[in-house]
Amino acid sequence: MISFATTTIFGVDWIFLKPYIVVGLALGGVYALSGVGVVVLYQATGVLNLAFGAIGAAGALISYYLVNHTSTPHWIAYLACVVFGAIVNVVYGMVLGPAFAGRDPLVKMMGTLGLALILLGVMAWRAPAGGAFVRVLQLPTSNHRYTVFGATVNLTQILALVFALVLTVGTTAFLRFTKIGTAMRALASDREITATLGVPVRRVELAAWLGSGIVCGAAGLLLADLFTSLDYTALTFLVISSLAAALIGRLQSLWVTLLGGLAVGLAQAVATPYSSISAYRTAAPFVLAIIALLYLGRHRTVTLSRTAG
Amino acid sequence: MRSTKIKLSVMCAVAGLLVLSAALATGAGATSTAAVGSGKASATKSVCGAGTGKKATGKPIKLGGIDMLIPGVDFTTIGKFAAAYFKCVNDNGGINGRPIKYILYNEQLNPTQQAALAKKLVESDKVVGIVGNTSFTECGTNWKYYKSKGFTVIGAGVQAECFGTPTFVESNMGPRYSNIGAAQALVRRGAKSLMVASPDTISAYADGGVLKVAQAAGIPGKAFPIKLPITDANSTILQLVQAAGEGGGVILDFTPDSAPALMQAAIAQGLVDKVIWGSSTPIANAFMAKQFGAFDGKMHINQEFGNINDGSPDENLYLAITKKYAPSISPQAFGQMGFMDAKFAVQALLSVKGQVTAASYNKAVRALKNVKTSMLCKPWYVGNALPYHIPNNTDITVTYKAGEVVTEDKCIPIQAVDPELTQTRKWETQFNLNTGK
Repeated sequence: MISFATTTIFGVDWIFLKPYIVVGLALGGVYALSGVGVVVLYQATGVLNLAFGAIGAAGALISYYLVNHTSTPHWIAYLACVVFGAIVNVVYGMVLGPAFAGRDPLVKMMGTLGLALILLGVMAWRAPAGGAFVRVLQLPTSNHRYTVFGATVNLTQILALVFALVLTVGTTAFLRFTKIGTAMRALASDREITATLGVPVRRVELAAWLGSGIVCGAAGLLLADLFTSLDYTALTFLVISSLAAALIGRLQSLWVTLLGGLAVGLAQAVATPYSSISAYRTAAPFVLAIIALLYLGRHRTVTLSRTAG
Repeated sequence: MRSTKIKLSVMCAVAGLLVLSAALATGAGATSTAAVGSGKASATKSVCGAGTGKKATGKPIKLGGIDMLIPGVDFTTIGKFAAAYFKCVNDNGGINGRPIKYILYNEQLNPTQQAALAKKLVESDKVVGIVGNTSFTECGTNWKYYKSKGFTVIGAGVQAECFGTPTFVESNMGPRYSNIGAAQALVRRGAKSLMVASPDTISAYADGGVLKVAQAAGIPGKAFPIKLPITDANSTILQLVQAAGEGGGVILDFTPDSAPALMQAAIAQGLVDKVIWGSSTPIANAFMAKQFGAFDGKMHINQEFGNINDGSPDENLYLAITKKYAPSISPQAFGQMGFMDAKFAVQALLSVKGQVTAASYNKAVRALKNVKTSMLCKPWYVGNALPYHIPNNTDITVTYKAGEVVTEDKCIPIQAVDPELTQTRKWETQFNLNTGK
C-alpha cells in the first residue's frame, strides 16, 4: 500500500527506503554483470559456470595481497584480479573444455563445481579466514560519495550499475555485429553443424571463456568492495544470485538477465526494513528465479504419453 | 609445432597460476629463539608453568579441546593459543617434568560431530581434561556427558549452557554479559536507544540482556538476529542505524570474521557519526583498530579482559608467547581467552598431588579459587559444587585510537539484570571465591 500523504510504502517511510534502493541497485548491477557473463559462456559452450564466484573471490584475494603486502601500483593489483579471472577461465576452457564438449550440460556443470571446490580449498589453505585475518579490499572509487535523492551513493556503486548496462549493450552488439559473435550464436544453436560449416569451434569457445573470465574477475573486484569484506566463502556463494539472474533470463536473453540481476539485488535490499520478511530476504534469488521460470514457461506444452497395455 | 606452442602456453599459464596462488599467503613472521616464560614468577613477572627453562621429556599428559569453525566465525584461535601456551610450559619444565600433549579438534556447528568428538577425547584419546572449548552450541550438546564423566571444562563460552550448567567454567563472560557491558557503556554516553545485532544462532541468549538494560534505562531496545555469513552488510547496517535513530546506540556482536563487513558498510554509507557504536569483546584488537580508523573514539567495546598492551605481567607473557609460539595469531581477545584457559589448566595440573588422572585433574580444577591473572579485574575461580559459574563479570570499556586499542572505563561490574549474576556475587562473598582470602 503506497500512501502519498505520509510517503510511506507498505508502512516504511520513503526516506528510509531510498538508501536500500541504492544499495540494491548497486549489488543488482554486479549480479547482472555476472549473470551476463554466465549466459554468454553458456550460449557458446553449454557450460553453466558454477566456479564464477570462486574465481572472482580468488582474484580479489590476489589483488588484496598485492595492495597490502607489496609495493605494486594499485591499478596493477586491481588489474591482476581481472587477468586472473581470464587466465583461469581460458586454461579451464583449453584443458578441460574439449573433454567435456560432448557431454551432458549437467556433467559440464559438475566440472566447474570441481574447479570451484579446488579454488575454495586453495583459498582456505593459502589465505585462511579467521580472527587474525581481517581483509577489506576497498576500491579508491568508494571514497567518492554523492548524495542522490537524499541517499549516500559511492562511485563504486554507480560503476557497478554502469558496467552492467555497458556490458549488456556491448555484448548484445558484439554477438550481433561481429563475425566471432555470429559464430558464438551459431554454436549456441548447434555445435556440430557449426563445426561442419568450417567455424573454428575451439577458438570461438576460448573467446567465450576469455570474455566470461574477464567479467568474472571484474565482478569479483566489485563484489569484494560492495560486499565490504573479503570473505571468500560468502563471495564464492554469491554466484547463486548471479545464476538466479541468468535463470530469469532463461540462459538466453542478456537484457532479461540484466533486469533479473537488478531485481534480485533490489528485492534483497528493499526487503530489509520490512520486519515480517526481512529474515527471509536471502531467499530472494530463489523466489524470483522460480517465479520467473513459472511465468516464462506458462505457454509451454507438456506432452504426456502412456504405453499401451 | 602448433600443439607444442599451445602446450607451452598452457604450462606457462599454469605456472603463473601457481605463483599467483602462492601470493595468496599473508606471510608468516619469523620465530624467535629467546627463552620465553622462564624464571621466577613475581608480582611483576609471569612465567610458563614452573619456568625452569628446561624442556619437559617425561610421559605426556593429555589435554583436549573442541573449537567451532564455520563460514563467518573462527573460534579455533582460542585452542591454537592454548596450544602455544602449553608449548611454552613444555619448554619450561612441563608439569613436574612431563610435557602436555594438547589435542584440538574443530567442529562445524554440528551436534552429532560435537558429541562424537567429546567422546573421542575422553574415551579414545584418554585426555585427563578438556580445555579451550568454544562453540555456539557445544556446551549445550556435551555438558551432561562431561558431567557424567566427572569432567569440568575450562573454556571460553558463548551460549547459555556455558554459563548455566555445573560442567563449564569460562575465562570470558560470553556474548550476553559482554553485550550488557557494551550497552551500559552506551547508556553512560547518553544513547537514546539500544539496537543489538548478533548471529541468529545465539541472538536469543546473547541479546536478551541488552533489552533488559534498555528497559531499565527507559529507552527503546530491539534485537536483530543476523544470518551468517553476512551477504548484505550494507542493508543490515542501514537497518540497524535507522532503527536506532539519531543519537541512538548500535551494538555489534560479531567476531572479526563478520564485523568488518558491517563496519566497512557503515563507513561506505557515511553512517559512522549517525549513532553511538558499541560492541562485544571480539573486535577489541589492534588489527581491527588499524583497519577502522574511521571508528577512532566512536566504537565503545566491552573488553572482557585487560588491554593487551597494558604492560601487566600476564599481558607481557601473552605477547612473548605470541611472538615465539604463535606468530601467525595477531594479538586479540580470542588469544587472551586461550592464554587464560591454558594458564588455569596448568595451575590445576601443578596442584595435583600424586598421579595425574582425569579424576585428580578435574578435582583440582574444581578446587581453583582466587586465581590471580592480570588480565582480569578480579581473581578467577571455579568453586566446588556451584550449579553454574560466571567468574568473569567485571568489564573494561575500550575504543580505537590511531591504530591501537585504548582503555576508556575500567573494572565496572556488569549490571545485574539477570538473577544469576546477583546470585553469583553472593557466592563470591560467601565462599571467598575471588576476595583473595
